[in-house]
Amino acid sequence: MLTKNVKSRLFFISIFLIAILCITIIFTNILKENLLYFKTPTEIKLEDKNNLKKLYRLGGLIKENSIKISGQKINFIVTDKKNEIFVTFEGPVPNLFLEGKGVVAEGKLVDNNYFIANKILAKHDENYKPPNDGNKK
Amino acid sequence: MILEFLKMNGYGIYIWLSYGFVFLSCSIVYFKVLRTLKKYENAYKNELMKLDAKDRDKIAKNSKVARYVLSSLKETV
Amino acid sequence: MFKFFSPSKLFKIIDWIINSIQSTFFLFLITGLTFALVISPPDYLQSESVRIMYVHVPAAWLSLSIFSVMTILSLLNYIFKIKNFKIFNKCLAPIGLLFSATAVITGSIWGKPTWGAWWVWDARLTSMIFLMLLYLIFIITLKFIKKDNLALMIISILSLIGVVNLFIIKYSVEWWNTLHQPASITLKGDISVHSSMLIPLFIMLIVFIVYSALIFLMKYKTEIIKMKKKNLNRL
Repeated sequence: MLTKNVKSRLFFISIFLIAILCITIIFTNILKENLLYFKTPTEIKLEDKNNLKKLYRLGGLIKENSIKISGQKINFIVTDKKNEIFVTFEGPVPNLFLEGKGVVAEGKLVDNNYFIANKILAKHDENYKPPNDGNKK
Repeated sequence: MILEFLKMNGYGIYIWLSYGFVFLSCSIVYFKVLRTLKKYENAYKNELMKLDAKDRDKIAKNSKVARYVLSSLKETV
Repeated sequence: MFKFFSPSKLFKIIDWIINSIQSTFFLFLITGLTFALVISPPDYLQSESVRIMYVHVPAAWLSLSIFSVMTILSLLNYIFKIKNFKIFNKCLAPIGLLFSATAVITGSIWGKPTWGAWWVWDARLTSMIFLMLLYLIFIITLKFIKKDNLALMIISILSLIGVVNLFIIKYSVEWWNTLHQPASITLKGDISVHSSMLIPLFIMLIVFIVYSALIFLMKYKTEIIKMKKKNLNRL
């Protein structure tokens, strides 16, 4: 069964697969910045603060009891349980924008702790359950 | 009640849009595949019928598929 | 005139399966839709929009598994030169394309009410689009490249790229921050979907599998007849 031709083709395929794997790993490492759809508060705080014009996506959980609505403005705190960033946003939010749930805000940093968003996306988790089951878990 | 079911608590449009898309695209694929199948089946039948009886016999003896297609032809005729 | 008591077994079985699926599929469909649209409860967070999951998730699963099957077939085809596998791939690829497109489009429709955007370029969604493109190139190669060896070569290379992409699709939600949520049902066996939603999901998965079996067998039958017709012309 394993004739010389079969062996050579097998060899070729394995080499090719390894090559593709290496290329993918290298590229994903180079492109790591772009592959991350958002940055957590901790990662944002490590950013170069001279670059305030840069558009960031900040992602994390909305801190419990932190949503404050004053007129058109919505203020809330995004946390990753280590660091927190204040966010201000003006406009409509998705239905799933709720305290304790995930959020991704797109916008600019004002300073280390303050973020002005121009777009809000809700990020939900992998749990699915009926409403009356919510407390049991 | 039916209206309520269609509305789906305000998410109706998204739900029906996605189910409609799935249903439509799957049906289109199904009917396209069915048509191609029928087309080739008929073409094959026609070619078999074009041959004279002796050749057809010989092919039917050797090829099970030919035999099967011919038998289904015989049923429909 | 003709006595046909023992037609080709395989051909007959294929034909029988096609007929029985055609006559019972409506039943599967109605059961699946009843569970997905009526019996299953709304989600605690997403409310009714969770019902899109019952078409989105099976389509995504099947598009991934069909690609893995195609990869194995084309690599075996390339290494051991087994002709039959090319036909299998030819029959499988359109189903994969259909399901990957279905997953992308229903996902997009689902994203609007839940995330608040039709589309985002996060790692999961982008790699899924890439899978769709791979299916497309696969089909074009199988259809238009007549030189068998060349087609086989291209297909094998595509499968290798695709298999790496499959892992990226699968693990993108764990490796990188994505808007798409992590898997609810993992290979390790962790399930974070409530049973009242899991049952409809699996019924819909069966409906999708039966549908793909039907399309696959119909396409396979077409290919057999095509081959027979060619043999006839050679006579």
